[in-house]
Amino acid sequence: MTTPRFFFVFAAVSILAGSLFTSCNLEKEVDIDLPDYDNQLVVECYLEPGLPYRLSLSKSAAYFAPFPDPDDMGGFLQELLVQGAEVRIRHKDQVILLENRLSIDLENQRLYNYTGNDLVPLDTLAPFFLEIITPEGKKITGQTRLLPRVRIDSVVVEFKEADTLARTLTYFGDPGEGSNFFRFVLRYSNQDSIPLQDFTLEDRFVDKSFVLGAAYEFSEGDTLVHTLYHVEESYYRFLESVQRAVFGNGNPFAQPSPLISNLGGDAGAAGVFTGLQYDRLVTIIKRK
Amino acid sequence: MSVEVIQAKEVKMIPVLLGESDILKAIQLKPGIPSGAEGVTGLFVRGGGSDQNLFVLDEAVVYNPNHLFGFFSTFNTDAVKDLKLYKGGFPAQYGGRLSSVIDVRLQDGNNQEFSGAGGIGLLASRLTLEGPIKKDRSSFIVSGRRTYVDLITRGVNRAQEASGSDANPIPNYYFYDLNAKVNFQIGEKDRIFVSGYFGRDVFSFDGDVFDFNFDWGNATGTLRWNHVFSSRLFSNTTVTFSDYQYNIGNEVTGFSSNLGSNIQDVNGKADFYYALNNEHQFRFGAQLTGHAFTVGRLRAGSDDGLVSFSAGKDYRSLEWGAYWWDDWNLSDRFAVQAGFRWSGFQTSGNAYQAVEPRISSRFVLTDNLSLKASYAHMVQYLHLVANAGVALPTDVWYPSTAGVQPQRSDQVAMGLAWFLGNGWSAELETYYKQLDRQLEFVDGAQIFVNDELEKEFAIGKGRAYGFELGLEKKTGKLTGWVGYTLARVIREDFAPLDPSRSFAQTGQFAPIYDRRHDLSVVLFWEINKRWSASATFVYGSGDLRWLPVGRLTFQDVAGTELKTVVPVFQDRNNFRLPDYHRLDAGLIWKFFPKWGESDLTLSIVNAYDRRNVFFIYLDPVFENEDQIGGIQIPQGIKAKQVSLFPVLPAITWNFKF
Repeated sequence: MTTPRFFFVFAAVSILAGSLFTSCNLEKEVDIDLPDYDNQLVVECYLEPGLPYRLSLSKSAAYFAPFPDPDDMGGFLQELLVQGAEVRIRHKDQVILLENRLSIDLENQRLYNYTGNDLVPLDTLAPFFLEIITPEGKKITGQTRLLPRVRIDSVVVEFKEADTLARTLTYFGDPGEGSNFFRFVLRYSNQDSIPLQDFTLEDRFVDKSFVLGAAYEFSEGDTLVHTLYHVEESYYRFLESVQRAVFGNGNPFAQPSPLISNLGGDAGAAGVFTGLQYDRLVTIIKRK
Repeated sequence: MSVEVIQAKEVKMIPVLLGESDILKAIQLKPGIPSGAEGVTGLFVRGGGSDQNLFVLDEAVVYNPNHLFGFFSTFNTDAVKDLKLYKGGFPAQYGGRLSSVIDVRLQDGNNQEFSGAGGIGLLASRLTLEGPIKKDRSSFIVSGRRTYVDLITRGVNRAQEASGSDANPIPNYYFYDLNAKVNFQIGEKDRIFVSGYFGRDVFSFDGDVFDFNFDWGNATGTLRWNHVFSSRLFSNTTVTFSDYQYNIGNEVTGFSSNLGSNIQDVNGKADFYYALNNEHQFRFGAQLTGHAFTVGRLRAGSDDGLVSFSAGKDYRSLEWGAYWWDDWNLSDRFAVQAGFRWSGFQTSGNAYQAVEPRISSRFVLTDNLSLKASYAHMVQYLHLVANAGVALPTDVWYPSTAGVQPQRSDQVAMGLAWFLGNGWSAELETYYKQLDRQLEFVDGAQIFVNDELEKEFAIGKGRAYGFELGLEKKTGKLTGWVGYTLARVIREDFAPLDPSRSFAQTGQFAPIYDRRHDLSVVLFWEINKRWSASATFVYGSGDLRWLPVGRLTFQDVAGTELKTVVPVFQDRNNFRLPDYHRLDAGLIWKFFPKWGESDLTLSIVNAYDRRNVFFIYLDPVFENEDQIGGIQIPQGIKAKQVSLFPVLPAITWNFKF
C-alpha cells in the first residue's frame, strides 16, 4: 500500500466496474401497495349548441384494479358505466330528462349512457342546472352556461425558407370584459388523429390578441382543424387539474393535483358539467 | 447547543459525488439535518422546509445555495474556512428564517506568503490563489471553479454539424463560481474585509429555428469594518449586497420571450460586543435590509409588435431587526445566554413587527456531563414559492404582504453533552417545534408566471419533534462520528387564502421529508503520512411521495384524445418510499513534489450499488391490439422506480503550492 501502483490499480478497477454498473438500467419494476381507494362516480357532460343533451356517468377504479377484457365489450361497459340513475337538466323553465340509454358517437369514439331527445339551444345566456340522483339515492349537481363564441381571426401559414415544411400561426382577439379562459385544439382533419396541440390558456397576460404558433411540421396539402373553445373558469381549472394529475405521475419536479371538479352534491363525484362554445377553422397548407 | 460546525479540511476527506467536495452535503451527515431527495442539497432541519434555512456567506444572504438543480452547492470548499449550522437555540443576531442558520465563512487569505491550491476532477476544475498584499497587514484570496461538460458537448455538436448529421444538438450546461476576499489591518484598532461571490449556472440550446437560454445564479458582496474601541468593546459594521435571479429566454422565428425572477437585497448592520468581565458579555446591534423582488416577470411577443404578452409584479420591502444578547456564566456550573430580537417588515404600506425572545442555558452536572436547554421564537418574512423536495432555480421568493402573513415558529430543545474521554464525546438532544402560517399550494396551483400568486397559497400549521444522538471521536488515527435522528413532522389545518380555490386535503398530513429514522456514520482513517481513507454510511426511512390511488377514464370532448387512465390523487404524500441507504468510500494518496504537496483522491459513491429511489411512477401497459371500438385499453399498470446513481467512482487531483 505504500506505493502509488496500488492506488492506480484500485482506481482503474473501480472506475471500470463503475462504468459497467453505470451502463445498467436505473429504472426497474417494483411491487408497491397503494392506500385503499373507494370508487367515485365520474360525470362528463358537454352542452354543445345544436347537439342533443347527453352525459356519461361512469365510475373510477383503484389504480391497480384489473382492466376489462378487450374482447368483451359488454363486460367492459358494465364495468365502466353506472346505470339506473335519474338525470335531468333544467334550463329556463324547461326540464330535460336524460334517459338511461346508450348512444355511441362512432365518428368521435365517444359513448354516453344518458341521452335526451331535445337539442341544446343555439344561442342562450341562461344557465343550465344538472341534477343526478344515483342508484344509491345520492345527489350530484352542477351548473353551467354557454359563453359567447370567440372567433379565430385568421390562420397564417408560413413556410421555412428553402424548405418544404410550414407552420401555422393562429390569431384571435381577447374579448376583454373580465377574465376569459380558452382551450385550443389543433389536429389533422381525420377524426381519429390525436391532437397536435391541445392546451388551455387565459387572457391575464395578453394586451389585446393571442397568437398561437405550431412547429414547422406541415407539408403542402395537409388539412388542419383549428378549434378555439371559450370556456368557463371551472372547466379550465378541471382541465388543468387533469393535465397536472397526468403530468404529476412520474415527474419528480411536478406538483400533482387532485381533480378539481365543478360538481356539487353528496355523492362525491368527479367530473365536469360545462357548456361548450367554440369556433372552428379548417386550413389547407399551401404555398402562396 | 444545537450547533453543528464543520471545517473545510474535514469536508475534503468525505467521499462525494463525482469528486466534488461539498460542505453542504457534508453538514447533512450531522444529526438532525436530513437531506432532501437523492443527491440534492436541500436541507430540512428539524421539520422545517427548505426555505426556512438562512444561508449567509460572510454575512451576505445567499438565496439559492445550489448548482445543477441541487446536486452541488454554491460553496466552493477551497475558499471556505468553515460552516456553522444552528438548528435551535438561535443567537439573537440571526433572524428571518425559522429552522436553521448556516453561517459560512470564507478564508481570509494567507498574509505571510503567496500560495495556491486547486484540483482537477471529472466534473470541474478549481483554482485558489492567496497571499499577502502587505505582509502581516493585508491579504487576498481568489478562488474559482468551473465545470466543463459543455466543452465536450460543444465538440460533439460541432462534429455532428460538420458531418451533416440530422441529430438534434445536445444542450450545453455548465456552472461556475468565483469567490474573492481582501482584508486590511489599518492601525491597531481597525480592520476592513471586502469579499464577494458570483456564480452562474447556464443551460442553453441553439437550434435552427429555436434558441433557448436559461441562466441563474447568486451574487453577494460584503464590506465589513471591525473596530476595537477598547479591550472591552468592539464593533462590526457591515454592508452586504445579495442578488439571486434567473432568466429564461426563448426565440422562435418571429417570436421571443423572456421570463425571470429576481430578489435583490442591500443590507446594513452594526454589531457591538461588550465584555463586562470574563463571565459576562453582551452583544447588541441592529440591521436594516431593503429587498427588491421581481416575481415572474414575463415579456413575450412577435417581432412585428402585433402580439405581446406581459406578466410579473415588483415589490419593494424593508426588513429590520434590533437585538440584545446576554452571555452570562452565572456560576461555575450554570451559564445562560438570553436575549431578544425585535424585527419588522414592511411592503406596500403593510407592516408587521414581532418580538422574538430567545434563551439558551447550560448546567454542568459533573466535569464531563452538562445539561442544556433552549427556547427560540423565530419569524420569517420571506416565503419561497417552490415545489417541496427538489430545489429548482425557478423557485421564487415572495414577501409577506397584507394577505400573506409572516411565518412563525417556537422551538424548545433539551440536551445532554457528555465528554467520554480519549477524544470521545456524545450529545443527545430532543426538541419540539411549533410552526404557524406555513405555506402550501392549493390543488392545481399555477406557480409559474402568475400575477396573483397569493391565490395559489394555502396556509396552515406544522409541528415537528424528535430526538437526536451524536457520538464523535475527534482524536487519534481513526476519527469520525455517528449521528442518529428519530423524528416526526406534521402539517395540519390548511385552508386556501382564496376561498374559491380548493385544498382537498383535510386533517393532518406529512411533508415529503418526514423521515422517521436517519442515521449517518462517518469515519476518517489517517493510515500514514501518505495514505488516508474515509467512509460514510447513511441510512434513512424512505421519504414520502404523493401517488395516485385511483384512476378514471376521461372521454373529453370530441376531437381530443380520450384518456383511459387519468390518475386520481387524494391524500397528500400518501406513500412511503423504501428505506434509503448508501455507502461511500474514499482513498487519498498524498505525494510531495518539490513545488508543494499534492494528492489523488478516489471516491466511490454508492459503493455497493444500492438502487435508492429517486421517484416512483405508475405506468399503464398498452399493447396495440388491445382495443375496444378503436380505443386502446391498457392491459395493466406497472409501478416503476427510477434511481439516480449506480456505483459512481471518481478521481480528483488536488494540489497546493
